[in-house]
Amino acid sequence: MLSVHGVSARYGEAQVLTDVTLDVQQGEIVTLVGRNGAGKTTLLRCLMGLHRSMSGRVELDGVDITRRSSHQRARLGLGYVPDDRGIYASLSVEENLLLPPVVDERAWSMDQVYEAFPVLADRRRQTGTHLSGGEQQMLSIARVLRTGARMLLADEPTEGLSPLLVQQIGDIFRSVREHGITVLLIEQNLHFASSLADRHHLIARGQVVESLDNSEVKEREHELLEYLGI
Amino acid sequence: MSKMRKLGALVTSFAVGGTLAACGAGGPGEAGGAITDDKIVLGVITDLSGVYSELAGENAVEAVRMAVEDFQAKHGDDAVTDTIEVISADHQNQPEIANTKAREMYDREGADAIFDVPTSSAALAVAGVAEQNQKLFFDIGAGTTELTGAQCNPYTYHYGYDTYMLAQGTGTTVTEQGSENWYIIYPDYAFGQDMNKSFVNAVEGAGGTVVQSDATPFPNDNFSTFMTKAPGLDPKPDVLGTMQAGGDLVNVVKQYNEFGLREKGIDLAVGLMFETDIASIGVEPLAGTLFTTAWFWNLDDRSREWADKFKERTGSRPTFDHAANYSAATQYLEAVQRAETDDADAVNEELNGLEFDDFFARNATLREGDHNLEHDSYLVEVKQPDEVEEDFDFTKLVETIPAAEAFMPVEDSGCEMG
Amino acid sequence: MDALLQQIFTGLVSGSFYALLALGLSVIFGMLGVVNFAHGAFYMLGAFGAVTVLDTIGVSFWLALVVVPLVLAVLGMVLERTLVRRLTSLDPLYNFLLTFGLALILQDLVRLKYGVSSQPYSRPDLLQGSFNLGLFTYPRYQVFVLVFSIVVSVAVWLVLSHTRIGMIVRASTERPELTSALGVNVGRWVTPVFGFGVALAGLAGVLAAPMRAVNSEMGGDLIIVIFAVVVIGGLGSVFGSVAAGYLIGMLTAVGNFYVPALSQSLVFILMALVLLLRPAGLFGREESMS
Repeated sequence: MLSVHGVSARYGEAQVLTDVTLDVQQGEIVTLVGRNGAGKTTLLRCLMGLHRSMSGRVELDGVDITRRSSHQRARLGLGYVPDDRGIYASLSVEENLLLPPVVDERAWSMDQVYEAFPVLADRRRQTGTHLSGGEQQMLSIARVLRTGARMLLADEPTEGLSPLLVQQIGDIFRSVREHGITVLLIEQNLHFASSLADRHHLIARGQVVESLDNSEVKEREHELLEYLGI
Repeated sequence: MSKMRKLGALVTSFAVGGTLAACGAGGPGEAGGAITDDKIVLGVITDLSGVYSELAGENAVEAVRMAVEDFQAKHGDDAVTDTIEVISADHQNQPEIANTKAREMYDREGADAIFDVPTSSAALAVAGVAEQNQKLFFDIGAGTTELTGAQCNPYTYHYGYDTYMLAQGTGTTVTEQGSENWYIIYPDYAFGQDMNKSFVNAVEGAGGTVVQSDATPFPNDNFSTFMTKAPGLDPKPDVLGTMQAGGDLVNVVKQYNEFGLREKGIDLAVGLMFETDIASIGVEPLAGTLFTTAWFWNLDDRSREWADKFKERTGSRPTFDHAANYSAATQYLEAVQRAETDDADAVNEELNGLEFDDFFARNATLREGDHNLEHDSYLVEVKQPDEVEEDFDFTKLVETIPAAEAFMPVEDSGCEMG
Repeated sequence: MDALLQQIFTGLVSGSFYALLALGLSVIFGMLGVVNFAHGAFYMLGAFGAVTVLDTIGVSFWLALVVVPLVLAVLGMVLERTLVRRLTSLDPLYNFLLTFGLALILQDLVRLKYGVSSQPYSRPDLLQGSFNLGLFTYPRYQVFVLVFSIVVSVAVWLVLSHTRIGMIVRASTERPELTSALGVNVGRWVTPVFGFGVALAGLAGVLAAPMRAVNSEMGGDLIIVIFAVVVIGGLGSVFGSVAAGYLIGMLTAVGNFYVPALSQSLVFILMALVLLLRPAGLFGREESMS
């Protein structure tokens, strides 16, 4: 569904990504695992069209989207869940949900969203940033589901959340997959990642150092944890 | 914006300073008794782009050119020289630029005399340069009494008006007519402070009281505070004296009318006003307002005759600044003609104490003691709209203030000629 | 006490101009990240617009109140399309310099055409005279200015808080990049928002024409105070800039009354205090500073 060919990116003088090539199949959950500063977030930003100085090619369903602007990519079905959750302080919870335009007929209705996330229904009139961290994360995910995005690009959705909430987020992604939505996930929590994902790409110093199936990750969990230094 | 201008000025002064240093000391011409370089050069430093560019500006330069042409026509082959040049510079009302331009004119362009220079601080700067260079300077556009007071010098003449004269006319007369309690507002810079001092003296000298005088921010577009404050002062003022100029004056008058102060029994007196100001405000809101002027074009036939020539040439009626520039340039050229040299000291001997009478300066004396031009001044009133016959025909004479009373007595000036 | 109340009212009237100008400046800054130095020049053009349409085609004050802002909106949109847009991806300093240059050019063009003297413009007949406000009487026109500016500010607030366009503007102001990544074509809204901000400045200019000196300098003197207002209110905070506008108006009026010589510095003293104690402004959000 999504394929990335030889993507390199810079931040000023610094080379952040070098020749990254990977692909994600329809209906999969795939993670990008790696230390802080390995280049995972930059890669996601490249895919979303938010990082300007990049080379290489990004294709979505065989269509080259490398030159497309980020709002066009969103309209082609990429749903972005940024690392800071991206909840607007100047918008209410409901407005946060309504802001992105609907891009596909399988978009969730507001009723569906509120049914799946009752806490958001209770707090629909509140300012978005007044929600707790976990609620904000749910809002961020619900927001792109409401657009009918075909693929989620989620940047560390479990960061800073309690184990119970991490569990809940995991459930959400499983049900997302059941709806036929593809997920590319940045994750440092290897245990969480392996409980959820089909495949994993290990990123270090801006490169994909290994691509593994979930079973391999489970077998080599200790080794990998050490490698990641997590 | 003024920062950028200052930067510009700084850059200019560095550039010019450098050039001058490289040239070495040129020094003024030594040969007495003749015309340096066979030509007379008249420099006009004025505001060619800013707030005073209409009441002075390009037309002030034009007035000096007219003086030169009339002089040449009058003397023909007998003129002391065939070549008289008029050069001009824009000082943007900045003292540092005025300083630079004056040095450039005297040192490099061979100017024998400089004219106009509106803005008091700029005029004082040029006066200093004139003294150093021992060349003549006729201040016309600036009103500070300092030029003929503590900072006077033998090479500087103040030609036309000053704050004392404006206050003497308006402050004294209005008080004597029975408006004894004054509320004065003045812009918080040199000219405004000077005006305030002069008006307080004049009003109190005539037996009146200044209930209060407030410095206002400059520039300022909102005078509502002062307008709402005025009727509540104790005792209630009979007259609001505004020392504002240009756009600020327009604001004061608009807001004076809006707050209906005239209906509340508070008249308006304006410290300094030009026809250009009346045109921007409109005659109606100002009708009946008193102010003092050095001259106005519709004074009498002599004045109208010159004003007609001026209009033919420039398309508009002259302000008193334009007329004074013409008059000063003419008196200077005649003095050179009599002295048969452009040597400043020799010309000075001709000018010192000179008594004359022309269309601008009546019963005039260039006083030896302080170099102030003493001449009749005029208390005028803004006409009613139906009395106005043409553009710039805005004022009518209320009273002529005789030359001897119009200006500060020499002995009070504090001037000690070096 | 009456005197103080009257000064406060006076302050609200001058605050009306600050509020309208700061509102436009703030919306433009929020959406484009451009500190529009030409805002004062647009205000000046608004006033000259009123004078010009009256002199040339006899358009009344009331019609000018509609027509002039519309014309300025078009001018603003053209300038955004042709000039401002080219620099938005660069350091904000470039657009600051561009708009600074624009301000000088507009000012000089007006001076070339109209000279330096102020242009006459009188109050509409309907608004001559005064209202009795109980404790004091006040010029009708100034009361109108205050009411009108409040109505406009409230209307803008309603649009911003209750419509989809308003939601997009708020979102783009807060996180332009994220908003785009969520599928909103932010770029499409930039031009009309710029035009709208310029139109607000023009509206303030038309309102100023009957009570203030109409000359090429009128905006240049004001813009610095407006910057202070926006900083005090909180950069990019729409409510903050309006509230700070009225607040600064009152502060200056009361200052003028008690300590005239200091009144202009008061604004900047307050600005310095706000920057020290609450850098995001009185009504700004800390988050939006990052």
